[in-house]
Amino acid sequence: MDYLRRIAAIVAASLVIAGMSSCGPGRHVVRVAVIGPMTGEQAKQGKDMADGARLAVEEWNAKGGILGKRIELLVGDDAQDPKQANSLANKMWTMGVVLVVGHYNSSCTIPASEIYNLRHMVMITPASTNPKVTDRGYKTLFRVCGRDDQQGLVAAQYVVRFMPGAKVTVLHDKTTYGQGLADEFMANYEKLSAKKVVYYGAIVKEDQDYSAVLTSLKPLDPDLLYFGGLYPQAGLLVRQMRQLGLKAILMAGDGTYDPEFIRIAGANNAEGSLLTFMPDQEKIPGAQAVIASYRKRFGEVGPYSLYSYEAMNIGLSGIAKAGALDGLKAAAAIHSSSFETVFGPISFDAKGDVLDSPYVVWRVESGRLVQIPYK
Amino acid sequence: MTGAGFEFFQQIINGLAVGAVYALIALGYTMVYGIIELINFAHGEIYMMGAYGGIIILAALMALGLPLGLALSFALLGTLLLTGLYGVATERLAYRPLRGASRLAPLISALGMSIFFQQYVLLSQGARDKIFPVELSSGGFSAGGVKVSYIQAAILLVATLLMVGLTLFVGKTRVGRAMRATAQDPVMASLSGVPVNGVIALTFFIGSSLAAVAGFMIAMYYGKVNYLVGYMAGLKAFVAAVLGGIGNIPGAMAGGLVLGVVESLAAGYIGGEYKDVVAFGILIAVLIVRPEGLLGTRLPEKV
Amino acid sequence: MARRLAAFSKNGRFAAPASALFFGLLALPFMGLLGAFVVSATVLLFRWAALYGLLERRPRMPDFLARARGHVSKLPPAVKGTAPMALLSILVALAFVLDPYTLDVATTAGIYALLALGLNIVVGMAGLLVLGFAAFYGVGAYTYAILNTHYGLGFWTCLPIGGALAALFGLLLGLPTLRLRGDYLAIVTLGFGEITRITLNNWDSVTNGPNGILGVAPPSVFGFSFDHPRHYFLLALALVSLSVFLLKRLDKSRVGRAWVAMREDETAAEAMGIPTLRLKLLAFSMAAFWGGVAGVFFAGKQLFVSPESFNFLESVMVLCMVVLGGMGSVPGAVLGAVLLSFLPEVLRGVDQYRLLAFGLAMVLMMRYRPSGIWPEAHRALEAKEARNG
Repeated sequence: MDYLRRIAAIVAASLVIAGMSSCGPGRHVVRVAVIGPMTGEQAKQGKDMADGARLAVEEWNAKGGILGKRIELLVGDDAQDPKQANSLANKMWTMGVVLVVGHYNSSCTIPASEIYNLRHMVMITPASTNPKVTDRGYKTLFRVCGRDDQQGLVAAQYVVRFMPGAKVTVLHDKTTYGQGLADEFMANYEKLSAKKVVYYGAIVKEDQDYSAVLTSLKPLDPDLLYFGGLYPQAGLLVRQMRQLGLKAILMAGDGTYDPEFIRIAGANNAEGSLLTFMPDQEKIPGAQAVIASYRKRFGEVGPYSLYSYEAMNIGLSGIAKAGALDGLKAAAAIHSSSFETVFGPISFDAKGDVLDSPYVVWRVESGRLVQIPYK
Repeated sequence: MTGAGFEFFQQIINGLAVGAVYALIALGYTMVYGIIELINFAHGEIYMMGAYGGIIILAALMALGLPLGLALSFALLGTLLLTGLYGVATERLAYRPLRGASRLAPLISALGMSIFFQQYVLLSQGARDKIFPVELSSGGFSAGGVKVSYIQAAILLVATLLMVGLTLFVGKTRVGRAMRATAQDPVMASLSGVPVNGVIALTFFIGSSLAAVAGFMIAMYYGKVNYLVGYMAGLKAFVAAVLGGIGNIPGAMAGGLVLGVVESLAAGYIGGEYKDVVAFGILIAVLIVRPEGLLGTRLPEKV
Repeated sequence: MARRLAAFSKNGRFAAPASALFFGLLALPFMGLLGAFVVSATVLLFRWAALYGLLERRPRMPDFLARARGHVSKLPPAVKGTAPMALLSILVALAFVLDPYTLDVATTAGIYALLALGLNIVVGMAGLLVLGFAAFYGVGAYTYAILNTHYGLGFWTCLPIGGALAALFGLLLGLPTLRLRGDYLAIVTLGFGEITRITLNNWDSVTNGPNGILGVAPPSVFGFSFDHPRHYFLLALALVSLSVFLLKRLDKSRVGRAWVAMREDETAAEAMGIPTLRLKLLAFSMAAFWGGVAGVFFAGKQLFVSPESFNFLESVMVLCMVVLGGMGSVPGAVLGAVLLSFLPEVLRGVDQYRLLAFGLAMVLMMRYRPSGIWPEAHRALEAKEARNG
């Protein structure tokens, strides 16, 4: 029986150790969570999200918390893995969380939101732009950033207006985000210009050499390459286009908004590249006070810091308006109100998207990303 | 030149440049396999570390104010030495103690080393891309629309020189003869006075430094490196080694070049997302149909 | 002691600082001055400790298991027979005590246990290294996801179908490749695993590509559908217990013994008239079956599948569990899975070092304790014989 007792002891001990960290919420705190990629190559974006949410929570706590209780912020790391996102969503439910700010990648947000819908938790994403996030008609999901169909539309409008007659090619990185965005751009472009794109294809994200695919583009002599994907691949694509003697301009989406894009491509190669993103935060007068206190507390403001900050503010306001820790009531309150944010007033449509498309066009000018006057 | 013709030749050039790198990495696999019959899974990571080492040393030398040409050559030399020693250390710590154990043990140990190195670089250098500190010219030669960039030409040249040098070294020198003797029968070799452990360590050193050269050139070519690149590059190089006949030095070169070209053509004519399927498909097909590879000879299995 | 000191002054005076310097130099470019210093100091301390004989008594942590095993074999059969039932009842009782999150992690551990049990058949029992095991897992998961969302088939129908399809996959892969030698086989299975993942990612019309398949229905019993981690935990418990029961019997059967013979010396086994090719195929498809069943369960728990869940790292993770537990050992596979699944929960905060430690552990295990923490009976015996000379 010695052996049995030992096994039971091992099993019980490991279960108890694991259990200790996950007791139910205390009576005097309200638990909210921010979830994003806190480790891996997107760790910086994850930290930006966490810091933004933390700033909001600290401000609320300084004003006396919510529903008479202190707010406790939990930070979750989905490591950009859908499976972990899903299991974190379950974990947050079991810990009594009713409000989640997250996730970053659409590929994580979509599966995790199935759980949020099932468990009546409010989820507000500051960064996931794939239309499917909100298109399933779930009542407790919101997003404060834009949608890829809005983003693809803005890009298509820009190309049709400023590059008429251009030969357009499309590539994506075969991910939920990249393929979704590339498809939206292509559909909008073909509708608006009544022309077909001359090439549509994919690259492998883990790969470093795209010259084979670019070589098959070269005889088409394209003027524009629209890329659905993230900055490391976008940077390599521009670099290898120039090495092959391709002059096409690269245009991409919010996933390419990162100074590393220019460093990887090489400043000369990247010059003139275009991307769609939200407006320059430095130029929004209402945001400067928040930016200043964020800088003082955490350092440089990332592209998604303020979106995460406002997502948390909106979520907490929803709970406060509902007057109870109830996801469904809080979601109803968010749907029926308008919120004053650093980006101006925000209200949500029936799906949970912001009413106005926030996207503007940016361009690489003398080695820096600059917002250009086009919307 | 017509569009179709241009495309085909350009794909061949692209393929040869990538293939030359596969070939350099494949040499390490093939030499190690030839001598101790071990698939050194950590070899892909060694290549990745060669690229990191080169960038780190280059950045340090440039900070010291060395002129670019000198800094580049010393960085290459530095990473070659450093990475070679990493290879020797890996052999000493993870493989030598397991000689004579079951066949699975060194394989699993190699897998462990591969994960360890990947995490070691991730934790010490961060997850973001490491960017090559110098922006090299993107110019090149051009003939009939087919473009060979200077870096591609340099890669092909360096790889060819190294491969020829290695073949001569293994074929013509005393040390090379000791290596071949050890590969054929380590016990007999040691009885005839060959320092078997030293020869094996030297094999790891040479294989790893070749991978470091490949890593350094790739970092120069793509302008960046990431801690994850070793896995796929290592696998591809292994496919190249198998394709050419594992244990066979000219075979590894041929296999690397063929694989690079086939991949390029597959990506260009079938679609970028399927090129890895083609590469692994070749691996499986070769192993099933002709396990001795393109240039290998069928050997009776050692019992 | 005097002799050791003499040896120390003769060989060690330079060897230890030299190797410390060597490793410090290796670490310098990657870890900086401070990191290199720490590495050097660590190496120096270890070398000196070794010279003084401090490391000679290697920790034999699982010895208590061997002793416990001795006690168990002396127990009256009546007690021995009830032991598994007692353990099972404790675990069932825990399902109603523990909080939902812990149960959720335990369920994941259960899925990994199923995978490890499957991989153990082929790697541990039959001695064939498979590095693409996640492919079978993926086939099972996608089978349920597709059959459920397109044709409305239920979890219980899909459980055997997913397993069978994965087994068929194993058979198809095994037929042409099993003649290959061990390390070639490892690489072919790795390539096969990659092809499967890439196909899942690219075959949009069937697998929905990188988006994966959403809206998979949870399992249900008599019209009552699973919606609490407790239900999944109990299901995992049932599946793992049943598997352990079956596999223990298999291990002791003719087939199990033939596998051991084949693993230890294939040529000799063949000479004895053991049909090695057929046995390999059997091992392959049975392992794949378990992988497929685990996949169906995974899809039923996550309610969603996507290609990233079936990558190489997943295959390596399961292999780690098998190696840690002890290759060939059925309880070892379960123990390895449970330990490695709960590890990240216990090590919260130092989580980023987890994979580093895994890699190192694989190397050290192969060197110092290749038979794992709960060695299989034959291997435990071999190790004992080796110790006694």
